Parts: sequence; structure tokens; C-alpha cells
Amino acid sequence: MTAPVLEARNVTMAFGGLVALSDVSLELSEGQIVGLIGPNGAGKTTFFNCLTGLYTPSKGQVLLRGKRLPGDPARVTAAGVARTFQNIRLFPSMTALENVLVGRHVRMRQGPLSSLFHGPAFRRGEAAARERAQALLDFVGLGKVGDVLARNLPYGDQRRLEIARALATDPKVLLLDEPTAGMNPQETDATRHLIFAIRDTGIAVVVIEHDTKFIFTLCDDVSVLVQGELLVRGTPDEVRADPRVIEAYLGKPPDEVEAEVHRGETR
Amino acid sequence: MRPLHEYLRPAYAQPLRVAGSVLVLVGTLMPWATFVLNDGPYPGKATLQFFDLPFAVTGFRLHLMVLGLAALIVSFVPIPGRNRVLRGLGWGALLVSAVNLLFITYRGGGLGAVTATDMPAFGGLVALVGAALLIAGAVAGGLEEPVHLPTRINRFVAWAVLLVAYVALLFLVAWTLTAGGQGGVANPYAGAQFLSFLGYAGGLLAALQGAGVLPWIARLSEEHRPFSIAVLVGCALALPFTSAGTDYWMTVAANIGIYAATAIGLNVVVGLAGLLDIGYVAFLGIGAFVAANLSGAAAAKLDITLPFVVAAVIAAVVAGTFGAIVGSPTLRVRGDYLAIVTLAFGEIFVRSAQNNIGGMTGGPNAIPGVPPVTLFGTGFNEPVTIGGSRLPSGALYYFLIVLLVALVMAMFANLKHSRIGRAWIAIREDEDVAKAMGISTGRIKILAFMVGATTAGLSGAVFAHKLGTVSYESFKFLESVTLISAVILGGMGSIPGAVLGASLLFVLPEKLREFSEYRLLLFGLALVLIMRFRPQGLVPDRHRRAELAGEDIEGRKLEETVTEQAHLPTGAATLTREAGT
Repeated sequence: MTAPVLEARNVTMAFGGLVALSDVSLELSEGQIVGLIGPNGAGKTTFFNCLTGLYTPSKGQVLLRGKRLPGDPARVTAAGVARTFQNIRLFPSMTALENVLVGRHVRMRQGPLSSLFHGPAFRRGEAAARERAQALLDFVGLGKVGDVLARNLPYGDQRRLEIARALATDPKVLLLDEPTAGMNPQETDATRHLIFAIRDTGIAVVVIEHDTKFIFTLCDDVSVLVQGELLVRGTPDEVRADPRVIEAYLGKPPDEVEAEVHRGETR
Repeated sequence: MRPLHEYLRPAYAQPLRVAGSVLVLVGTLMPWATFVLNDGPYPGKATLQFFDLPFAVTGFRLHLMVLGLAALIVSFVPIPGRNRVLRGLGWGALLVSAVNLLFITYRGGGLGAVTATDMPAFGGLVALVGAALLIAGAVAGGLEEPVHLPTRINRFVAWAVLLVAYVALLFLVAWTLTAGGQGGVANPYAGAQFLSFLGYAGGLLAALQGAGVLPWIARLSEEHRPFSIAVLVGCALALPFTSAGTDYWMTVAANIGIYAATAIGLNVVVGLAGLLDIGYVAFLGIGAFVAANLSGAAAAKLDITLPFVVAAVIAAVVAGTFGAIVGSPTLRVRGDYLAIVTLAFGEIFVRSAQNNIGGMTGGPNAIPGVPPVTLFGTGFNEPVTIGGSRLPSGALYYFLIVLLVALVMAMFANLKHSRIGRAWIAIREDEDVAKAMGISTGRIKILAFMVGATTAGLSGAVFAHKLGTVSYESFKFLESVTLISAVILGGMGSIPGAVLGASLLFVLPEKLREFSEYRLLLFGLALVLIMRFRPQGLVPDRHRRAELAGEDIEGRKLEETVTEQAHLPTGAATLTREAGT
């Protein structure tokens, strides 16, 4: 087994008295797709926010290739962790191509003076960035709509554009927060193939998703979060068969659920 | 209640349009007033010829005649976008007749203008009704889709079109500047004449817009950018050779230029990066005071004589440094709170300047005696003779300021289309996501403040030398508000918008002096109306247009674009599968 690309060690996140995540660990190797599932409010997105530097974990640490990640989203992205958002957050009145170019920002070097004078070096860098952005649009299947404003794109294309924008930062790890939310079966299928294609370029992918069928056909490894704790971790088959997972998803008799809620509150 | 336009059936369109055009023409040829104006008859006082020469077709009547004839012809010739053209002409005629009618009535003391005994003078009313009918007819005919003229035409044809367009623009600018003359005691009707001219020009421009000509020219100039820029600069430099080439208009044009350059700088901060700076004029002040001290008496005492360029660069650098200082709270403070921080800074600056804190500003005495810029021994405030034609005294400063504005425009355009510019726009759109995309938002925001402040500082240096005196009174809060209004009015993030906005906001007060007591009121009203009916600004940047007017880059309405692309997802999905295998 190769050394993990991304490693979360015992991440705990508390907001005042509310513990959103407790002692969650995750390892991710190059070319691996890891799924993160769990009921609403289980702490999946909080975990993503800890991985990307938006939140600083109360305890534990996040390592990228053995190096601790900085607690600043911009520098985390520069280090090689990119993400998409659960509710699409494109730059709505920029074109699709410009959105991807913003993703390219962190890999470009033009400073204020070079931007002011547009010298030969600037033009070379700009042309290279545009070429790369166009290639990424082609890759996600949006090659023809580069000039369309992001807000005018159909919903499924907006999700894909977010992925292209994240890929533009040349990530080693890509975090996808519910990439198929609101998609029809065909679009979901296309997204699965897209994620496989991304994996094949050597990028490690973490996917948050509600759609368990999607996750089980996509991932090499699945973690189940319930109420901020890592419940189960294993291959899709192992997770699917685990009675605790079935319980977390299908529920228990009402009195037991109530008891659990109380436990959650007193903690 | 049904909306008004539902009563206008298409069958009424042609009769209404023709009747409207004819009434405008008839009204034009009828007498408009039958009494002696308060200030005495033409030609001694009044230049509006509605008494002595009731049938002379000059001035506003010539304008009405042009609008009416054009409308009559277009009513019978099926051109694309006909109803849009007619609506534009109708609004122009409505504004011209309304302004003149109101003015005559007001000056004549009540409705005397239309009810005088010896000769009925219904010209104004007839033209007004005609214009209203014309608009109604155009609306009844159903407004067409915006006309889209092809831009793939022979390069030389395109150049010829652009040349004609920009020369026309030059004359439009010259006529607008001089419309109604200087005003004041010499001509108490200047304001009305100016407004009437604006109505006329606005009507013609709206008609051209309706026929798709203006968007076409805009796209052509986009495609032939270097040529357009060269011609535009040439036209700007030619202004002193037109009717606007007098001392007075050169001074006005130069002032507009300074504020336009400053507004473009503010546009970086507000329009691109989306940071509301309402104390911005302080940077203009810092630049002006620094330059005044470096070139004026303070430097002379130390026996230093700096060339203008050096003083200007130092002024820009000092202002830029202050920009970084004022911008630093943006790391912690967002939105409304940032606006308050900048407001406070503006107040600190103007109060310190007023009380001469640090002894750099002269306090209420101002700093007098800033020497004019000189080149080869010629002071820029002197008249010069170029190629046999004598140019007025402000012309050299005007040339200098045209260069300044061109420089600032180039800077803005280059920055906007770069990594930095995209980062600014990204921050404006969604700061958190911009950060998640790896943009160091703090540094980039401070940079926006620095660029804006440097531009203002440079403009301030020119301002100080041109005016010769620098006083804190030029940098009060109201000036910041006017600059922001200029940026918003013209269109945020748009270069021509900032120039147009600055021109309007600094020409209007000059022109509307006779309405001085209502000036700010009218101003406010105009701003409210523009924000209600054209929130994207007069010349919107395409991003803003998309955001606020619901249009895409080509100016089409959003819904159409979306349906047009409805077929794309399947195609895209196939592509994706190919990528996956």
C-alpha cells in the first residue's frame, strides 16, 4: 500500500458545546475514490470544511502527503486540495471559461505589474491558462459552452462546471460535496463516469452523497458518519451489509430514536 | 385594471403612428407663444424663437422637425425594429416639446403661453399630443425583438462605419457641451435649451438603438479594437477644433476628464472588486495636496523645483500608500461596515485638511499659487497656435487630460482582463468561494484599493496644477457621493460607463445653473429613475448586464438562451462518457 495522499487524524470539531465531529479519521491513497455517507446533520460537510481549512479542527490534524495543511482555505487549495459545494456556488455572472480561469488563478504567476502591462510573458501565461481551461471544459463535457454565463447553464452543467473549476487548481485531492444532488439518472450516470475519469488521472477523490446506490457503485472505500462519529468503514459490500448502517438509514422504533436524541443533547 | 398597453390593438398602430408624426410636424410649424417673455423679446434676451419668428425653423423646432419627419418616413418604410425606432423618436419629441412648453408656460407666468388672445399658440400642445400618439402607435404595433446586425463585414467597410460613428460622436459631444451656451446672465434660457437638446439627442440615439445600429457599432469596435481606440483618441484630441474650442468649454471638458479618470479608478474598487468606498475623493485630495506642496511655495522655500511628472508620480505613490492603509480593514470588515470605515476615512481627511493639521493643506486659506505645467517653456494655461488655428488657453491641459484618461482606461482594461481582474470579479461575486479557489482575498482587495487610490492621486496632481489652487472644499463628502453616482449611473465595471457617468454628473450642474435651487432635487430624481428603469447603468459592463437586466452577453433575454441550450446536456453527457473510457 502506498503512503496516503490525504490523512485526517482524529479530527474533532466543536462549536461551543456542540460537538459536530468527534474523533474522525480518514485515509486516502492516490487514485482512490472514497465515499462519505450518513444521514442529514451527520457532520459530512463539517468534515469537508475541516479538510479544506475553512474550519480549524478543535483537535486532531489533517495531513497532505505527510505535511500538515495550513488553516487557510486559499493556502489549502494552493497545497493541492480542491472542492465543490453542496449548493452550487459558481461565479454566476462570469462565463463558464472565466469560472475555470479563476480556478487557474492559484497556478498562475502574473503579478500586478505584469497584469498592468500585458507583456510577452503575460500573454504566454494567459494563453496557456486559457488553453488549459478549455481542455478542462472539454474534459467535463462543456467544451462548447465556454462563452455562456455560468448562471445561464442548465443545472447539471453547473455541477460539472464546478468540478472543472476545482480541477483547474491542479489538485491532488478533490472533494465533491453531493455532486449528483438533483440530477436525473442519466446525469448521475454521466457524473459517475466523469469521477472515474478524474480518478484515472491520478487524483484522489472524496465524495459526499446521500444516494447510497451511487456511492456503492462508485467508491473503493466507504465511511459512514452518524452524529459526528465514524460508524463504519469498509468496502461497499461490507458497509452495505452492516446492520448498524441499515439502522442508521432505515431508523429504529421511535422510542429508541428519542433516547438517542437525548443522549446526543446531553453530550 | 388592465395594463394600458392592452387597449392598444395592433390595428390602431399605423393610424396612430402617422397621426402622431403629422401632429408633431404641424405643432412644430405652429406658433408656440404669443406674449413677450419676462426678460424681454428676442433677440435682445430670448434665443428661443417663439415670438418674433413664429414660423422660423431653427433651434428646438429644427430638432422637432427632424424627429417628426424621420417618424413619418419610418411609419411607411418597413425597416427592422421599426416600432422600437418610432418609440425612440416619439420619446425624443415628447421630451423636446415638454421641456419647451413647460419653460414657456413657466416663464410666461402661468398658462399664458397657450391662452393668449391675439393669436392662438397651440404649437407646443399639438406637438406634445403628437409625440404621445406616436409612442402609443409604436407600442400598439408590438415592439420587435432587438435587431441583430451582422458584424462579419469587409474590414474597410467596418473601418469606415467606425470612423463615421466616432466623428458623429465627437460632434455630438461638442454640441451637447455648447447646447444653450454658457448660461448665467448672458442667456437665462441656457438650461432649457440644453435639456431640450438632450431630449433631441436622446431620441435620435434611442431610434438608432432600436434599429440595432448602436449595439452593432459597439460590437464592431470590439472586433476592431486597436483601430477604434486610435480613432477615439484622435476624435477626443480634435474637440478643441470644433465649436467647443473656447476657453470656457475647454475648462469644462478638462474638469470632466479629471473626474472621469478618478471615476475609472473608483470603478476598480466598486465596480470590479465590489468594495463600496464612500470616502474615495480623499485620495484625489491627497494627490492634489502632495502635488501642490511639491510644486508650489512649500517646495520653492526649500529651493526645490520638481518637474510635473515627478510631482505627479510622487503624488500617485503617496495616495496609493494611503489606499493600502485604508484598504487594510477589508481583511476584517465586509460590506456595509467597510463602507462606514471608508466614510470615516474621508471625513478624517477633509477635517484634517480644513484645520490644516500637519500644515500641508493651508486650511481654509487653501494652497494658492501652484504653477501650471510647462513643456518647452510653454505654460499649459496659455493659448497656442497649431497649424494655423489658434487654440484656446485650456486646450493644452485638455490634451494632457485626454492622455491621462486614455492611460487610465488602458490600465483598467488590462487589469480587468488579467488574473488579478478575474480575482477581483470573483471576490465581488462570492468572496468565500474565491478564497476556496486559492485567491488570497485579503491581498487582492488591498491591491484594488491601492490601484484605485493611485489613479485618484495621479488625477489629483493634474487637478492641482490645472486649478492653481487646492482647497479642502473640493474634497467634501458630496464629491465622493457624486463619483459613486457617476460609476453606478454609467454602469459598474464599465469604462465608457464611468466616463459617461462622470460627464453627465459634472456637466449637468454646469448646465442647469438657472435651476440651481432645484438642481440637487432633479439630480436625485434622475438617479432614482435610472436605478428603477436601468439598474445595470447607461453603458453596462456585460457581467453587470447579465446580473441586473437578465440578459446574456449578446444582449438577448435570458429565457431564450436557456431554451436554446436545452439540447446540450445530452451532447455533453456523451462527451463525458468518451472522456471516461
